[in-house]
Amino acid sequence: MLRLIKIESSKLFYKLKSWLGPMLIMILVLTAFPLSIDISQFDLEKFYFSIIVVSLLMTSFLATEGMFEEDFEDGSLEQEFLIEQDFYKVVLSKIFVYVCFIGVPIALIGAIFSVANGVAIESFVSVFLSLSLSNLLLFNLFAFGNALSINKGAMLGVLTSLPLALPVIILLGTAIRSIQYGNGFLEIISLMIGMGFLISAIMPLIISTALKTHID
Amino acid sequence: MISAFIHKFSSPKSFVQITKTLYPLFIFTGLSMLIIGWTWGLLFAPPDAVQGNSYRIIFLHVPAVIFAELIYFFMALCALMHIVWRVRLAAYLIKSAAPIGAMITFIGLFSGSIWGIPTWGTWWQWDARITSTLILFIMYLGILTLHGSFSNLEKSDRLMSILVVIGVVNIPIIKKSVDWWSTLHQPASISVSGGSSIDPSMLYPLIISVIGLGFTLISLGILTSRSYILGREKNKKWVLDHV
Amino acid sequence: MKLISAQNISYKINEKMLFHNLSLEVYSGEGLHIKGGNGSGKSTLLKILLGITSLSKGLIEYKNQDLKISYLGHKNAIKNYLTPAQNLQLLFGNASLSNAFEWLEKLNLFQVQDELTANLSFGQQKKLALIRVLAQSSELIVLDEPFVGLDTAASDLLNSFFVQKLSEGTGLILTSHIQPSVECQIIELDKANA
Repeated sequence: MLRLIKIESSKLFYKLKSWLGPMLIMILVLTAFPLSIDISQFDLEKFYFSIIVVSLLMTSFLATEGMFEEDFEDGSLEQEFLIEQDFYKVVLSKIFVYVCFIGVPIALIGAIFSVANGVAIESFVSVFLSLSLSNLLLFNLFAFGNALSINKGAMLGVLTSLPLALPVIILLGTAIRSIQYGNGFLEIISLMIGMGFLISAIMPLIISTALKTHID
Repeated sequence: MISAFIHKFSSPKSFVQITKTLYPLFIFTGLSMLIIGWTWGLLFAPPDAVQGNSYRIIFLHVPAVIFAELIYFFMALCALMHIVWRVRLAAYLIKSAAPIGAMITFIGLFSGSIWGIPTWGTWWQWDARITSTLILFIMYLGILTLHGSFSNLEKSDRLMSILVVIGVVNIPIIKKSVDWWSTLHQPASISVSGGSSIDPSMLYPLIISVIGLGFTLISLGILTSRSYILGREKNKKWVLDHV
Repeated sequence: MKLISAQNISYKINEKMLFHNLSLEVYSGEGLHIKGGNGSGKSTLLKILLGITSLSKGLIEYKNQDLKISYLGHKNAIKNYLTPAQNLQLLFGNASLSNAFEWLEKLNLFQVQDELTANLSFGQQKKLALIRVLAQSSELIVLDEPFVGLDTAASDLLNSFFVQKLSEGTGLILTSHIQPSVECQIIELDKANA
């Protein structure tokens, strides 16, 4: 497991566009949005969050897009299968590395921008926590979509994983409303943590079945 | 034991043979009930007290959305059989049912939009049921696209089954979450236990059209699945004997 | 000692039979050369023997469950965006890394070890990929067309590697259109089908 995490993180480290790209796009969207509307007419902090949520959805899809494609195309998946006889650990460590090195930084960017746009500094941690947890969920779900579609492009990935991602978005929206209104946050964040554990344990199992089918 | 039993009765060969005799029966029942249900509903049932005549689209809309989901559950059942017992026929049935499901879901959405214009004054609302039906439609499209993406058909069968099963787990989650998020739809008019809020003069033609559409869709499914099965198994001896 | 045996295996894809009732055995210190035209199912047979592809019928038995196999298919399984040195660091633990770098030197890749693998020639990439097999100790070596793209020097090196490994008791299964210099039992897939 440690070996796999080491391999995955060094691979990701050298793939600059895979981790820096999503972060830059996150920053770009969050900067571009206020510039594109008439701030004097709109109450920005009221719906700035929804822009954060949508950019989170976009960037996490982008970040996970080539997750298994490269390893599938160059034969590394077959080699890992020979070593591990299974993909569970491979998938688990891959998602872990991606969440740590892309998901959490994106959540941090989102939280920083939310504070910069009028959200109270006290709720920074809550915002950051709920964004990170949604990213954990989204990365797992998108990883599933990508494992199904591997080299068949974004369309199939979107069609297969968007229905799965929407509940997460709704959950995140509820979490953010509860932060804004200052009640019920604890329940929702516990729900998200529970779902995070559940999905992180089950999804890799399903993904590894899909990957096994692909190399078959 | 159980797997031997299932395999005996789920060979594509016996499916093709059995449905050959059942098909005329189903298509006749389906179409005649649809004609009866719709003529009754459109011409003879009284207009609604509030909605006037525009409610009559219910005779298309309600059966359509009922089968939009039922077909998905049928596919999920098949997917389970395909994953657990490796029943080939189950995968063929999913593949043939998916386009029908997508079509009927689209009809449900479309008729709902038409109904929405006179009743709600808008053809689209981000309401819980509409949204979850839209997502269901996307799921059908995903399944269809997935199966079309791979040249190794057995591989796509297996991936498709995985996706269908994940989807059926996802349906209640979507419903729960969009309910939570917002809802505008009228609560379901007919319930099994607590009687119904709809007048019998409208209810009977509705039930007849639901059953009629059911049989029609089954016969449509038989038609598409049979040609699909014959195409997939064209190298097998029984197909050559059959044709 | 029998490393791997296959009994009456069949494989079909999209209801098309690729091979039928094929049996083979590989003992330690023995080579097996799988021959056949393009599309006769050589690579698929290798993947079936490795347990990657599941077979339609038949049985495959290994010496034991954790038989150490090293394999290189027609995909190189190296990363284009890394240098050869980084690739080797990913593949090998600290213990065998120096051995891997020795092979890098033997295969004349030492001077390009810090260039991006994407910029290397086809043959150089193939040599780099082969190090995965060359520098690893294993009981069975499985190779899919190992000679493709190699220059004479590298081919000779590979052949002498085969000789040495077979004498040490390692098993070898390979597909190739070029005759390896070691003596192997031969399976012809086209004929096995007919």
